[in-house]
Amino acid sequence: MAIIQTVDLTKKFGNFTAVDHLNLSIEEGEIFGLLGPNGAGKTTTLLMLVTVIKPTKGTAYVDGYDITREPDKARRLIGMAFQDPKLMWVVTPWDVLNWHAKVCGLSSLERKKRVKWALTELGLWENRHKSVHTFSGGMRKRVEIAKILIQRPKIAIVDEPTTQIDIVGKHRIWNMIRTLRDEGSTIILATNELYEADLLSDRVAIMHKGKLLVCDSPKKLKDSIVGGDLIEVILEKEAPKTLIEELEKIDKIVEVLVLKPNHLRIYLNRAEEILPQITEFFIKTHLPIQSIRMSEPSLDDVFAHYTGLTIEEAEKR
Amino acid sequence: MNRIKHLLEYDFRNFFRYKWWIAGMISMNLADLIIMAVVYTNMVSQEVSQKYLNYFLFFSPGITITALFAAAFMIGREINRELRREISHYLLSLPFSRWELAFGRVLSGGLRGMVYMAPLLITTIFITWVFTGNIPSVLGILIILTTLFLVSVGTSGLSITMSLSTRSFEKFVTARGVVYYILFFCSSVFYPLDFIQQLGREGTLPQFLVLIAEMNPLSSGADTTRAFLFGHPAYSPFMLLNVALFALIFVLTASFAYLKILQG
Repeated sequence: MAIIQTVDLTKKFGNFTAVDHLNLSIEEGEIFGLLGPNGAGKTTTLLMLVTVIKPTKGTAYVDGYDITREPDKARRLIGMAFQDPKLMWVVTPWDVLNWHAKVCGLSSLERKKRVKWALTELGLWENRHKSVHTFSGGMRKRVEIAKILIQRPKIAIVDEPTTQIDIVGKHRIWNMIRTLRDEGSTIILATNELYEADLLSDRVAIMHKGKLLVCDSPKKLKDSIVGGDLIEVILEKEAPKTLIEELEKIDKIVEVLVLKPNHLRIYLNRAEEILPQITEFFIKTHLPIQSIRMSEPSLDDVFAHYTGLTIEEAEKR
Repeated sequence: MNRIKHLLEYDFRNFFRYKWWIAGMISMNLADLIIMAVVYTNMVSQEVSQKYLNYFLFFSPGITITALFAAAFMIGREINRELRREISHYLLSLPFSRWELAFGRVLSGGLRGMVYMAPLLITTIFITWVFTGNIPSVLGILIILTTLFLVSVGTSGLSITMSLSTRSFEKFVTARGVVYYILFFCSSVFYPLDFIQQLGREGTLPQFLVLIAEMNPLSSGADTTRAFLFGHPAYSPFMLLNVALFALIFVLTASFAYLKILQG
């Protein structure tokens, strides 16, 4: 069941179209990745969903509530951890989180329990009474993430949750996002980190210049690139030409490239399914394999496939 | 109501974050009152302030209302900063209705103005009692507080409206300067309203400045306080009506700004 449905969602700032007729459907209980370079329209989309800014055209339904007609009801279901930490006036993480929890309607007892839990889990407990102004960028980001962990909203939006955070911290946050989902929240994860989107998301929507390029599970997106998977085989002997022609006849193999007489690069789809057939083929033809390496396309390849640009190139443009 | 309470907590904690600065400012206002009033008492013609015993006593409600105005106006600077740093996005994403958010912020600004002004009002009442033996009645104090509260809320609404109308801090500060000068100097803060009206009749002062002084909520606030402290000028319900209208207009414009301007 779709918990969020956007219908031709559009936002213009003057002549610039930040989000262009976006049609998305987000299922309840999933981690939905919103992927794209900076300026793709991810944050603008999220700000419309959380009712901070109004769409120029179109609308979105949050658990059935139209964000343009019933923004107050829609907003109560959503919690958002922003890209740039919004730490305001308050000096300590304890105060920031305690106030946030109060506004979200948590009882005094529950508030204290959850604030303590989040600060401990995110490694901030020791620093809970220190000024956030002395914190590093990563520590501030953790305080921002803690807000939604405490709130546990029905729909949790996390915008670039792990930028400026070290690798240990990233894993900690990824685990907490999964826990939040397991406890019943639907997660919208906006990121330009491909690995993060691939690792966490059940489905990914790729945006570019305000438009939705494609939306599916990471696996299906990768499989959608014809010949996107790659197997490199190094044989103990040279491979005869006839053998290469026979190899190309195997279903799902798109192209075989001979790098050296005993070194083949095979472009194909669903490499993990075809690999047993390929090894069996070489065994039957009495060509012992010295080494075999398999790689599948990344989401960066998917992005490049649909735009002709890498994420870095798209950001520069 | 609970959510508005949280907004009051937010704004008051922000306010008291600068507690030493506030203490310094209050001390400076008190010093202004003493130094300026003593100097002006000897400079200003006795005819101008004779109904108030001296200029010092006339001026003390004036400086009280300017302090109230300046303190209530501070919330605008904070909201403008929130807008520039996009902290406003965070506040708008919280489960407040836009009305709760707008009303809560306006109310916070108003109450902060009252808190800041309180030591000055107490000083004014005290020095008036020392010099004249006058003490306002309970009803008088209630009317003074109501009037000053409405001035404070209206000022808070005015500053929020201005702060939400531009993301540029420079533009906000310039607009604030213009508003300060118009409302401070075209008012009965420094001179009695009947003296200003007399200057208007004589053609010394342009009539539109006289009209601004008459309609100015700072004039109504200062003169309400004087009316119950000295009996001059005579109290008129117009004063309360004037500040109520001022508060109503700017509570509505601040709410409108939150509803329309901020959400784009």
